[in-house]
Formats: sequence, C-alpha cells, structure tokens
Amino acid sequence: MLKTAFLTLLSLAMAISLGGGSVWYALNAQDGVGAIRIGQWTAFPEIGTQDADPYSKARVAREGVLALGRAEGLSFIAERDESGAPLKRECAYTIEGGYPTARFWTLYAADKSLGVIDTGKARQAALQSYDVLRRPDNSVVITVGDRPAPGNWLLTGGFGKMYFVLTFYDTPIASSTGLSDVTLPRILKAGCHA
Amino acid sequence: MRSLLHALILGLLGAGIVHIAVLFLVPEFSERDAWSRLAMASDLYKMKRLDAEAGGAPVVKSVDPMFYAAACRFDLADGLVRIRAPGDVPFWSASVYDRSGHNIYSFNDHNANSEKLDAVVLTPAQMIDVRRDLPEELQGAIFVEAPIEEGIVVVRAFVPDDSWKPIVSRFLEQSACELQDY
Repeated sequence: MLKTAFLTLLSLAMAISLGGGSVWYALNAQDGVGAIRIGQWTAFPEIGTQDADPYSKARVAREGVLALGRAEGLSFIAERDESGAPLKRECAYTIEGGYPTARFWTLYAADKSLGVIDTGKARQAALQSYDVLRRPDNSVVITVGDRPAPGNWLLTGGFGKMYFVLTFYDTPIASSTGLSDVTLPRILKAGCHA
Repeated sequence: MRSLLHALILGLLGAGIVHIAVLFLVPEFSERDAWSRLAMASDLYKMKRLDAEAGGAPVVKSVDPMFYAAACRFDLADGLVRIRAPGDVPFWSASVYDRSGHNIYSFNDHNANSEKLDAVVLTPAQMIDVRRDLPEELQGAIFVEAPIEEGIVVVRAFVPDDSWKPIVSRFLEQSACELQDY
C-alpha cells in the first residue's frame, strides 16, 4: 500500500518538475525554432505573428515583446563572431560587408536582455545607415570597440557577453520570399583587452 | 523493481503532457505580457511612451535605441479607434497588435496617403457600417480591419541623431488615440 502511494507520488513529482522545468529552459534559450540564419546573424521573421510556433508565442507573452511588423522591419541578432567565439564587450571587432536593400538600417550593441548597452558616455552604442561612411563599392566597414577609430565607430565598453542587433526598416527582405539570397556583413574579431 | 520502472516511465510520459499543457497555458495566464504591462502604466485610449527617454524604465522591452515609440490600448467593442499624428519625421511606422501581442497589421509612412499618420482600426462588422456612409473627416484615413476586440496600437518613429530628439518627441506627444463616433 505504502509502496503504491510512494510510486504514484514519484511519477507525479517527475511529471510536474520535468515538464515545468523543460518549458522554463526552452523559453530562456536564445536559439529557437523558426530561426533563419545568415552567416552569424539570426532572425525570427515569424515571431509575434499568428503563424508563430507555440514556443515563440509563449516567449512573446512572458517577456511582453511587441515585435516589429512586416511593413516596419526585420531584426537580426548576432552572438558569435566569424570564428564561432561568443561576442564580448571587452573585445574589439570589425563589421564589414554589404547590406541588403532597405530604406535604412540601425546597428547597436546589446546586453543579454537585448537592450542597448550602457556606455556611460554621451555617445550611444548605436549607428544608423544615414551617418555611415561607405566605400566605393557601397560596402561599409565599422570598427567596434572602446577606443575611438577613424571611419565608422561603434562605441562599446565594459565586460561580459554582447550581442549585435541589426535592424532593417521598410525592407523587401521582411517578406519571406526576399530572404533567400541575402548576404549580411561579416563580424571579425580585431583583438581583446587582457 | 518492475513497478519502479513502471512509475519512472509514467513520470516521463506525464512530464511530456505537462510540458505541452504549460506551453499552451503560458500565453493565456501571463501577467507579464505587453497588454498587462501597458494596463499598469496607462488607461485605454491613452498614448503611452515606451522608450526610456520619457522617464522611468521602458514599459515594453526591446525598442531600438534609435527609435522612439508610443502605444495605446483600445477595445473595439466600444467603437472605432482613430490614431492620428502630425507627420514631419524621417520615418514612422505603426502596428496593430491583438490582446496577446500578435502583430495583426503594420504600415509605414510610405504606405500612407499623406505624410500624416491617420488610421482607423475597426472590426469587419464596423467596416460594413462605416462604408455605407463614410464620414467626411475619415476620407483620407487608412482603414485597418482587425477581427479583434481588445488590442494595442504602437507608433514608432526614427531618431537619426540628437538634433531630431525634440521633433520626434513632439510627434509622439501630439499623437492621439481616440474613440471615433460614426
């Protein structure tokens, strides 16, 4: 009798803790279903729509996200450089290459919650396409780091994990057909503070 | 021993069922979704700034640092809702979300008839009524048919550099979200 009660309790405890725990884990993981990867950049074109998978829907509800609509834009997030190492705030990077068609784009350095990092200075850790210098072939080279750099400079600082968020506004790539032959800039590590 | 194995397998099976059940219940019972957060910060038919610039922590997270945004909650059971803003900013866009934060419809300043933001959100049934006798002042508006009752509309505006901050702030402060008689 006691044995039956113990075994029932064991199954119930397993079901509730494992079931609940696995949902919590899945919702906190940065990677998810429905992601589109282009180089180091990841986008979730479906997030915040009715067609999204149940995990994205739960994440939207839990975090209170109001995702960009198709006519507004599309965000890409990078958490690794081209060698596969995680991006760090204490390192300097070079972001170089061409960008797909859009009215304009913004690029910012973000912390784990995907909010812009606090540089502690008047200059934001953000750039936008109207104020970057371009090379003759229309590509852009951006220097990322805490030391001022000539050309395009994205100020970062501090220590810890970092993400780059690149958002294209009013762009044809936000419709699903446009994503097939898009190339995005490369992220190269230039060096780190010891 | 057999019965212990039996209990473990049953536990794993149960875990799968609980996983699926919890996953589908999270959106239903979340008290941290965008609607609930906005409800704590402002009333229905009130434009509320979402960016941290307006003071206080941002209400809804993940807004581009080069954007200002404002949101208002509405309930179409009360009637049509009209969103207006005077347009003299480099870029604005607007999105209509349902109660649980799904994007229903979005448009930007190039989709609009004029530079000004002038949109009406209404249900298909209200659309039939309005179309029968379109009021003069709604002639130029964008009509967004949404099969919802409660919802959120968000207006986003681009701030290219610091000199645009007061202009874009004024754009959002002058934006209005009001019940429309018809």
